[in-house]
Amino acid sequence: MSRVLTLFFAAVFVATACGQTPTTPSASASGAASATAAAITRGGTVIVAIWQEPSTLAAHYQNQTVSGVVTDGVIEGLASTTNDGNYVPVLAQTVPDVANGGVVVKGTKMDVTWKLKPGIKWSDGEPLDSSDIKYTWDIWMKDPKTNNRTGFDQIESIDTPDATTAIVHYKAIYAPYPLNFGALMPRHLLEKEADISKTDYNRKPLGTGPFKVTDFKAGDSITLEKNTNYREQGKPYLDKIIFKSVPSSQVALAQLQAGEVQAMWNLTEAQTPDVEKTQGLALQVTPAPTVERIEINTAQNREYPDPNSTHPILADSAVRRALLYATPKQQIIDKLLFGKAKPGSSPVSQGWAKYTGTQEGYDPAKASSTLEASSWVKGSDGIRTKNGVRLSLTYATTTGDQLRERVQQVLVDEWKAVGIEVKIQNQPSSVLLSGSCTGKDPRKLGTFDLIMYASTPSIDPHTTIAPRYSSKGIPTQADCSGQNYTRFKSPDADKAIDEAGSTLDLEKRKTAYNTVMKLLNDAYVIIWMYDRARIDARVNAVQGWQPNTWGNFTWNVSDWWLKK
Amino acid sequence: MGRYVVRRLLQAVPLLLAISVAAFAIIKAQPGGPLAAYEGNPDFTEADRVRLEHAFGLDQPLPLQYLNWLGSFLRLDWGYSFASHQPVLMLIGERLPNTLYLMGTVFVVVLLVAIPVGVLTAVKQYSWFDHIVTGTIFTFLSTPTFWLGLLLIIVFGLQLRWLPLGGMQTLGASFDVGDRLRHLILPVATIALVQMGSHVRFLRASMLETIGQDYMRTARAKGLAERIVIMRHALKNAAIPLVTIIALDMPELFVGALVTEQIFGWPGMGRLFWDAATRSDYPVLQGILAVSSSLIVLANLFADVMYGWLDPRIRFS
Repeated sequence: MSRVLTLFFAAVFVATACGQTPTTPSASASGAASATAAAITRGGTVIVAIWQEPSTLAAHYQNQTVSGVVTDGVIEGLASTTNDGNYVPVLAQTVPDVANGGVVVKGTKMDVTWKLKPGIKWSDGEPLDSSDIKYTWDIWMKDPKTNNRTGFDQIESIDTPDATTAIVHYKAIYAPYPLNFGALMPRHLLEKEADISKTDYNRKPLGTGPFKVTDFKAGDSITLEKNTNYREQGKPYLDKIIFKSVPSSQVALAQLQAGEVQAMWNLTEAQTPDVEKTQGLALQVTPAPTVERIEINTAQNREYPDPNSTHPILADSAVRRALLYATPKQQIIDKLLFGKAKPGSSPVSQGWAKYTGTQEGYDPAKASSTLEASSWVKGSDGIRTKNGVRLSLTYATTTGDQLRERVQQVLVDEWKAVGIEVKIQNQPSSVLLSGSCTGKDPRKLGTFDLIMYASTPSIDPHTTIAPRYSSKGIPTQADCSGQNYTRFKSPDADKAIDEAGSTLDLEKRKTAYNTVMKLLNDAYVIIWMYDRARIDARVNAVQGWQPNTWGNFTWNVSDWWLKK
Repeated sequence: MGRYVVRRLLQAVPLLLAISVAAFAIIKAQPGGPLAAYEGNPDFTEADRVRLEHAFGLDQPLPLQYLNWLGSFLRLDWGYSFASHQPVLMLIGERLPNTLYLMGTVFVVVLLVAIPVGVLTAVKQYSWFDHIVTGTIFTFLSTPTFWLGLLLIIVFGLQLRWLPLGGMQTLGASFDVGDRLRHLILPVATIALVQMGSHVRFLRASMLETIGQDYMRTARAKGLAERIVIMRHALKNAAIPLVTIIALDMPELFVGALVTEQIFGWPGMGRLFWDAATRSDYPVLQGILAVSSSLIVLANLFADVMYGWLDPRIRFS
């Protein structure tokens, strides 16, 4: 009898295991909704679990990714990006560029003319016009609590000859201009406020998007309801979206599995097997531009080193090459990231400027032979020495990150096997990634040997490449603003960066950036670990999701619908 | 008595000031600071940092920052959160009812269970009932609340699917008393199971001491029923120290259970404190600490006064 039962359960187990296939929605080429109109059912509420709470939703104050996730459906701008990195107009009629005459370059300055689509209304019924564009720039620059003024500080003035036209006069060639006005703010509502931080705009920002914020219960939930004044007839399909604040991503996953929420933001790779084996759930794995990397300090490891100084160990390119050859990137991805990432090869992995080259792969024998060839001889304890200098380095990353700690353990072992001793010295991200000299960020100060962290380039690569790989970007005591932490110095790279920054020609810029990235890889100053993916999950009933490398999973909430 | 109360209140003022200075120093000593949240953004420049530091008053010397806060605080302007820009009083006001609701229920449940159980274990000392109760209590007293809370969620929420996994109510649905009660069960159980242990043991010890007194023997000798001897004579006298313990628990009604609120996603004061602490949002932190430290001082005073009022043997010097 018990034999029969065991066989029965085994059969059931096999049947359920076979019956499950993770259903990931297929990526479609066009950014617009691709579901057939006949199949869509309207109405319903989708509850999305977010495990961080947005502290503010105001367009110019928000500095958390999760705030953007909530306001993607509420606040709109002139243009946006699709999955393949092209710009598309949202509130504007077309994206201006040199070819269609919308952008006029005058020496070192440029003028961009935006034309709004007619008849757009804010969700309170008031009309949107070009004065809102001018007001957005005005208030972004004037408000002392704005998060950052990138782009807006390049604008000299804005003319508004009529209600649908705005001519923006830039005082330099600013390539990322299409996304400069990614969020428009309502002049009619906010211009009379002395201090916007004290108004309701923080919690219920007024926008032109398919939804509006109707309720903000701190610590509990944020409710979005359909905007009846939305410019696209018939959309959005959903009545309500509620963002439920939960304490952690484990709780969010538990609630998704229990059916208490219908979607969840931002899973870790380690949580994906759980979702894949639960029936009724689907994952969306979107390649993100984020690249995890290990940066190598080529200058001396001390506070504010002389940029021309050299690191006693890491100045030897044989050591840097050996570190790379002894890094098993694919194994780490398979075992620790469950295959949900790609091996890295450059800082720009997506978009029109993405690097077309590769970085060498795992070859520990080559690592050993490279070190031998450079006279690094293995001592009795297995660690190499050369001219009395022991090959011992420190390796830092952020504390409390399980994935990074595991990666460190793998690499410490791998590197020890080729004779490199590595000591782990982790610090909390509030220090390691503080981005300031006063905050004791070791990257800025230069007090590190190897440091591992992730960075996400914006869609225009200049803001990533220029401060990081130009010799002018090395942070010093006098000027801490640079981001060239490896202290990489290459006159050819500097030249290419200057060239790319002075033109709007995409082909010229693409070639220049590729040159820089090749020079960077040839110098072996950075080990590109992996390109991460953004992973979100939903129940099968939630339809309409499309991946977008350059946006959040909520970038197309107007297309979401609930299958009954 | 009146002079005693006034003297204690006057002593409380420098104590509260010292607490707020110490809290301020600890918050400021943390690495990170309120601007740490902006660092992840690659577009955040040094110029932006300088501007925001000035906008939030963070570029002033530390003692001046504290005195500015103290000055506005005493004028009943509790300041604005650095993260959400909302007035601190409003933030506290939003969360306080939720915490009162949760902790009030815990308070009532603990009393309703602890008093009968405490009396019974004392009266039936060393019986099987006493042994079982004592064993259970010590088990729960040794359990950390976060572990117990997570265990209850896993068992009752995930595996049995009897109870919801957190929050105050089912989102999107209209108000329903049953729904609210179902969400209340697990967080209350987590806190109450651990807390009631100490109340039961305390009452048991106090009762045993009282029952052993001579006047109890007199009462029984007079022919009074056992029930009256225990309830009217023993319990009333044994309960006096318990009143003190209960009075000292009262500040928790307002401040909430930090860890439990985090686990159950309960939007209360504990969660507000946690979020503010991780973001170094010191206006909010100082506001909450001011509330909780004043309540603790007042509760201590209240407990002492109550004890003196209930027990005529106590005299205040």
